[in-house]
Amino acid sequence: MTRLILTRLAQLPLVLLAVYTLTLALAWAIPGNPLENSERRPPPEVEAAMKSQYSLDSFWSFYWSYLDSATGVRAARDHFSGRAESERHRLESLHLAPPPRRVFDLGPSLQYRDQRVSEIIAGSLPVSAQLGVIAIILAILIGTPAGVLGGVRPGTWIDSLSLAISLIGISLPSFVTGTLLVLVFPVWLGVGRVGGWGSFSQMILPALTLSLPFAAYIARLTRMGMVEAMSSDYVRTARAKGLPESSVVLRHALKNAALPVVSYLGPACAMAMTGSFVVERVFNVPGLGQHFVNAVQNKDLFLIIGVVLVFSTMLVLFNLVVDVLYRWIDPRIRM
Amino acid sequence: MWKLVLPLITLIAAIALSAAADRPLPRADFTFINRGDITTLDVHQMSWMMDLRMARLLCEGLVRPNIFSREYTLEPAAAESLPEISYDGRTYTFHLRRDAKWSNGEPVTARDYLFSWRRAMLPENSTDYTTLFWMMEGGREFFDLRAADLKAHAQRAKGLSASERREAARVLWEKSCADFDRLLNLHAPDEHTLVFTLNRRVPYFLDLMSMPVFYPVYPPLVTAHDTIDPDSGRVKTDPSWTKAGTFITNGPFRLTVWRFKRDMRLEANPHYWNLAALNVRSIAIPSVEDPNAAVMAFRTGAVDWVSDVNAGYRGELIAQKEAYFAEHRAEHEALLAQGLDPIEIDRRLPPDPRATMHAYPAFGTYFYNFNCRPTLPDGRANPFADAKVRRAFSMSIDKEVLARDVRRSGEVATDVLIPPGSINGYRSPRGLAFDPARARALLAEAGYPDPTRFPVVEVLFNKDSGHDLIAEYIAREWQTNLGVPVQLMTKEIKVFRDDLRTGTFMTSRAGWYGDYGDPTTFLEINRTADGNNDRGYSNPAYDALLDRAETELDAGKRLQLLQEAERIIVEDELPLIPLFVQNNFYLFDAHRVSGVSSHPRSEQQLFRVDILGDGKGAEKALALPAKK
Repeated sequence: MTRLILTRLAQLPLVLLAVYTLTLALAWAIPGNPLENSERRPPPEVEAAMKSQYSLDSFWSFYWSYLDSATGVRAARDHFSGRAESERHRLESLHLAPPPRRVFDLGPSLQYRDQRVSEIIAGSLPVSAQLGVIAIILAILIGTPAGVLGGVRPGTWIDSLSLAISLIGISLPSFVTGTLLVLVFPVWLGVGRVGGWGSFSQMILPALTLSLPFAAYIARLTRMGMVEAMSSDYVRTARAKGLPESSVVLRHALKNAALPVVSYLGPACAMAMTGSFVVERVFNVPGLGQHFVNAVQNKDLFLIIGVVLVFSTMLVLFNLVVDVLYRWIDPRIRM
Repeated sequence: MWKLVLPLITLIAAIALSAAADRPLPRADFTFINRGDITTLDVHQMSWMMDLRMARLLCEGLVRPNIFSREYTLEPAAAESLPEISYDGRTYTFHLRRDAKWSNGEPVTARDYLFSWRRAMLPENSTDYTTLFWMMEGGREFFDLRAADLKAHAQRAKGLSASERREAARVLWEKSCADFDRLLNLHAPDEHTLVFTLNRRVPYFLDLMSMPVFYPVYPPLVTAHDTIDPDSGRVKTDPSWTKAGTFITNGPFRLTVWRFKRDMRLEANPHYWNLAALNVRSIAIPSVEDPNAAVMAFRTGAVDWVSDVNAGYRGELIAQKEAYFAEHRAEHEALLAQGLDPIEIDRRLPPDPRATMHAYPAFGTYFYNFNCRPTLPDGRANPFADAKVRRAFSMSIDKEVLARDVRRSGEVATDVLIPPGSINGYRSPRGLAFDPARARALLAEAGYPDPTRFPVVEVLFNKDSGHDLIAEYIAREWQTNLGVPVQLMTKEIKVFRDDLRTGTFMTSRAGWYGDYGDPTTFLEINRTADGNNDRGYSNPAYDALLDRAETELDAGKRLQLLQEAERIIVEDELPLIPLFVQNNFYLFDAHRVSGVSSHPRSEQQLFRVDILGDGKGAEKALALPAKK
């Protein structure tokens, strides 16, 4: 187990380096000047000066300068060369508090000049994470019972109904379900709120929208597992022992039927937290997903790279967590 | 089984905890939506309208226009009085208010302005408005010298050790500071006096000085966040200096909360010299990106003012207001005849939810560019190099129909470049009216008797904000009224801008917003080789007129010269086709909110806002005086 965790963690920097290189190459190829943001255009010498502020003069100067500060090499160099120290002395002599030091500096946002990429991520990642986690919890709470109901009695009308609903859940895109939910609850019934984040009434609708495809998938997985488990030998044994049906289904069948669901939860969590930008847009949720889209439109290089790196890290970590959980739930699984 | 349930319970607990940690703030005196979120609070870096609005709330410049006067009179703000200007119009002497203070209670001094302007003039801080400082004596020289020094330093630094590099960068910075003092004719003879000299008389320089790029920043705060990069020699300000709790400003309000993409919160600055004049003490600015959500927020009473109504059904909102006016026709027409401010008219008519939509002309014009270069980028001869062809194309568009039936947003069609009534004392020429018969004749005269043989006209535009509808209409007008073949070309905004910059187009959508109260703010964009002359238009006679206006001392004659220059553009040469005056779209209840101005220069100074009937402040409804 420890070895698994260590190898995966050791691979992470390599994965990130590859992701960084690819992302920057693609983002660099987006046409347009990232610093130009209005119809107005300054003279060429001013424009050149603007570009060199951010090492945007050439691909390689940007590539190395970003790596330098994002990996913490620059901070380490400043520390050992005594620059950080002399800077602190300078400010102390002026009776000023030094600004916070950053070891891993992901750079400034080119569009939102007062924000650092790390601050943007720190502010919006928790929102996306909350949204994603609530959505996954809802998905489990909706999907598992639906799958169990269908799987216990395959072929009945309950089964057909839960299959039909889950088909709709998988096929409808969230901008359709989201808009429908807004129409039904806040607009027609006056329940729940659109926009913002923080209170339960603001969270429930976006979370529900985001959860539907996952709930549908979980329902299908559970049903499949249940159908198989219900016809297995150990369920027959359990019944022969005279156990009540509820105990047979929940304790014996579901435990085994749930394994595929658990292994699906890893990628699902990552997808729910990183793939919510449509839902965030529909409900005006201040999460990370919106930056993913806007940053590309604005050619905000630092932000694009920062967000992609965060998403990649999350994917790697979630898969690791799932692998660990999997072994913990079912000790038969070994490396 | 518990192994399956335990992670689930842990997750639910974590969510409950993190949600409980987020508490909403109490309602502010005034709440408005300023689009999504602003891009910067650094006054030296701003160019967006929503950022400038914040600058006017948080900071204060030496002068500002009275947005409730028709003439847009400049008034002293952080200065005690308007400056003394020398006889040759080049030397300005400002006396600062002695009671002006930073939000930490420290006095605002003349040296703070020297520091701020030096910062704004540095090449490493350059922005859209850097060149305004080049009008000051030595401004351009300082910029060029520092830029060259930085370049040389970066070259030399490669061969130096870390500590040598650091030392060299520091020495360079000291040299630049000395260069600034030496090159610029800019002095602070005492704490409260500021003197500077321009290269030449600029009649509108005082007007420019109301722009946030001339506002002061608090030197100790900026210095604490500045670092000198040893490799490039550049001075960089860490962006955290504008964060709530850190930011120190000299304006009516101070920043207390800024949660990026969520909300901002301002409270009255207790040290502001004119604190007693503020009618609201707290302002909330929620970040709402979605145009529909912004309208919804207003409708549910959550916000008092929406700065930019962009919902797809804006046309319907405007039509509803028209219907409301029609219901009160007699009264409305009587009020109009008195020449009243539209806001004042709304106040005198009975309250109605439909009346909360407002569309006022802005300080901008929507137009179409012609590429005027002799050849197209692919080497073909450019038919639009001929002014006759350009005239023909512009006379074949019925702009009234465009404004009324295509835009449906209450805009006014125009045949001139400068929005009418926006600049005090200036009158635009007539321009070319819609005349399809004359247009066809002109096209034949220009050598195209058979319009179907005219090269395929490419119309370049980006799809957002209704530009596609306008492009389709214009293409149809050219096809039906002139009979030329037309092809639409839609591009993503960044690519669109690149194509404009490199002249890779035949005709394109375009627009321009003025910066200051002088016709040159619109006319300079057609000067030969101007950075914003996307059309590649070049006319020595036109350039000469602008040059003559620069040196003309008589204000009346100067405006005549500029009027002649505009006439060349809109009647003879047509490097662009003016289509309509841009509008500002606001949502607010005029019976409840005072302080929003409908002046065509479209600047808002939201510290003037008063919520009528809340028992706080002067409770006096502001409006422009009636037109005579």
